[in-house]
Amino acid sequence: MAKYAIRRLLALLPVFLVVTVIVFLLIHLVPGDPIDNLMRSGSDPAQRDALSRAYGLDRSLVEQYLAWMGHLVRGDLGTAIVQRRPVAELIGENIGYSLALGGLALAFSAIVGIVAGVTAASFQDRVADRALMSLALVGSTVPSFWLGLLMILFFAVQLGWVPVSGARHWTSVILPATTVGLAGMALVARVTRIAMIETARQDFVTLLHAKGVSRFTIQTRHLLRHALVPVLTLLSLRIGLIVGGSVTVEYVFARPGLGSLLIRAIGQRDYPVIQGSLLMLAIAVMLGTLVGDLLQAAMDPRQREDDRS
Amino acid sequence: MLTVDDLEIGFSTLHPLAGVDFSVARGEILGLVGESGSGKSMTAMSVMGLLPLIGGRVTRGSIRFEGEELTTLDEARYRRLRGGRIALITQNPMTSLDPMVRVGPQIDQGARLHLGLDARAARIRTVELMARMRIPDAARVYDLHPHQLSGGLRQRIVIAMALAGDPELLIADEPTTALDVIVQAQIVQLLVELVRERDLALMLITHDMGLVAQACDRVAVMYSGRIVESGPVAAIFEDPRHPYTRALIGCIPRPGMAEGTLAGIPGTVPSIADLPSGCRFHPRCPMAVAACRDRVPQTVAVAADHGVACLLAGAASGDAP
Repeated sequence: MAKYAIRRLLALLPVFLVVTVIVFLLIHLVPGDPIDNLMRSGSDPAQRDALSRAYGLDRSLVEQYLAWMGHLVRGDLGTAIVQRRPVAELIGENIGYSLALGGLALAFSAIVGIVAGVTAASFQDRVADRALMSLALVGSTVPSFWLGLLMILFFAVQLGWVPVSGARHWTSVILPATTVGLAGMALVARVTRIAMIETARQDFVTLLHAKGVSRFTIQTRHLLRHALVPVLTLLSLRIGLIVGGSVTVEYVFARPGLGSLLIRAIGQRDYPVIQGSLLMLAIAVMLGTLVGDLLQAAMDPRQREDDRS
Repeated sequence: MLTVDDLEIGFSTLHPLAGVDFSVARGEILGLVGESGSGKSMTAMSVMGLLPLIGGRVTRGSIRFEGEELTTLDEARYRRLRGGRIALITQNPMTSLDPMVRVGPQIDQGARLHLGLDARAARIRTVELMARMRIPDAARVYDLHPHQLSGGLRQRIVIAMALAGDPELLIADEPTTALDVIVQAQIVQLLVELVRERDLALMLITHDMGLVAQACDRVAVMYSGRIVESGPVAAIFEDPRHPYTRALIGCIPRPGMAEGTLAGIPGTVPSIADLPSGCRFHPRCPMAVAACRDRVPQTVAVAADHGVACLLAGAASGDAP
């Protein structure tokens, strides 16, 4: 298992390399550059060139990329052009908010989704099942930014239970996390339900009943364990969407975080900040997926075997 | 020990079993024989009380186990019976074990539930049981997962699992069908030994008359949800009275048989949604007469402990027309 984990981690290195290229190229290929932000239009072209040279923007893309990578391998993310502070510092100030939001959204997707799925499966084709699955369908189709606005109106403005925006109080994370996690929760519920039902049809489950094992034990100890395998796959795929969703939702809720940092930096064409925060998001997705795969391998003995051979 | 009387079961409006009678005594091996679709597995599920799991229910008749009526037993008490006094062995060892759980603990489960053993005691008992199943290196195999074992070994695990709760009645639903011939013979021999040494009752469900001849004491031949003939194995093989029983015996290949003489039975078991009138075998019966279409044959005793449900039972002995 440890060997398997190390091998999977090493396999991420080439992926990481490709990600750095994409992160770098994406923003450099967009029209405009940071200097536009620093200087008014019609200002002295000679001054412009001097600034360009100072930031190394006059060099070729390849040279700029290599310079960035050179610093990166030494752990240096560069300095923000507009704010004139180290990028690592900016990220450090914001990453906590994003981790809280993403982590809570993921936990919400997983826990509420699994509980709803198991409940629906044990009341298969009855009222509780149909009601839960209808809700899940609605949950997975409503766009998250719109849902976010609705929830702000209801829970924050009307009921006043939680803050409308910002991140001054810990309760402020509840609405954005629910917004980001809802679609995933709905999918997790559906996948859990169908996996429980499919597993229940297998011969070994008939034999469990024949051994005199109670229905409750069969549901919680045996069926759920099987159902968690596809659910973990789904959750590790959702991590990317949760990270992406957080970016827009942070904006809707005016929360600090990597998403807000990134969106502001994109407007200012602040290359080092954009690259740094995109890289963080990409690493979050890669590590999240890796953890999902490892958990899955730990649970299902057949997968470990298949991979060893 | 087990007496099934006039058992009828229903799935919405369909009745896969329509009046099944048979009994198994302690120390006895009963073969329940018939083609696929004749209702053998349904009979097993009925005795196990697992019909609700597949959407069915008992609609008539009784199942008595050691004098206790099972058709009206509440679920909590039925659960103690399952695995504890009546155990099931299923057909396909590839799918009968939980692929995510080590095989040893799967056997332990029965002993812990029904004998009240703790984890350590259950493990010791399981390893002994596995060794008795002639599983080599049982202590090591205990910690393996099902996919690491061969079909024959897995079936031994399934049998050990059935025996874990120390049951009195074993129901084996085609326990050898999914295995190769040599392993089949070993598994059958093992089952027979276990019945003899533990004084169990065994209900052996199969479609293989050869296996019945080799292992069983008595046999009940099933066709389309009814028992058409039952009796001691010797009597049935020497003097089969039902045309279906004869046809089944004709399906056993023998060494030295001329090529092309192995008989099949033309046609198939009728679907339960479209049952023929009268005797359900008449559309495929080589001896059917007009009356077979209209009258449902009742079981008549043609000898001590030998019953046949055929209108021609009296006339249809070995030298019939």
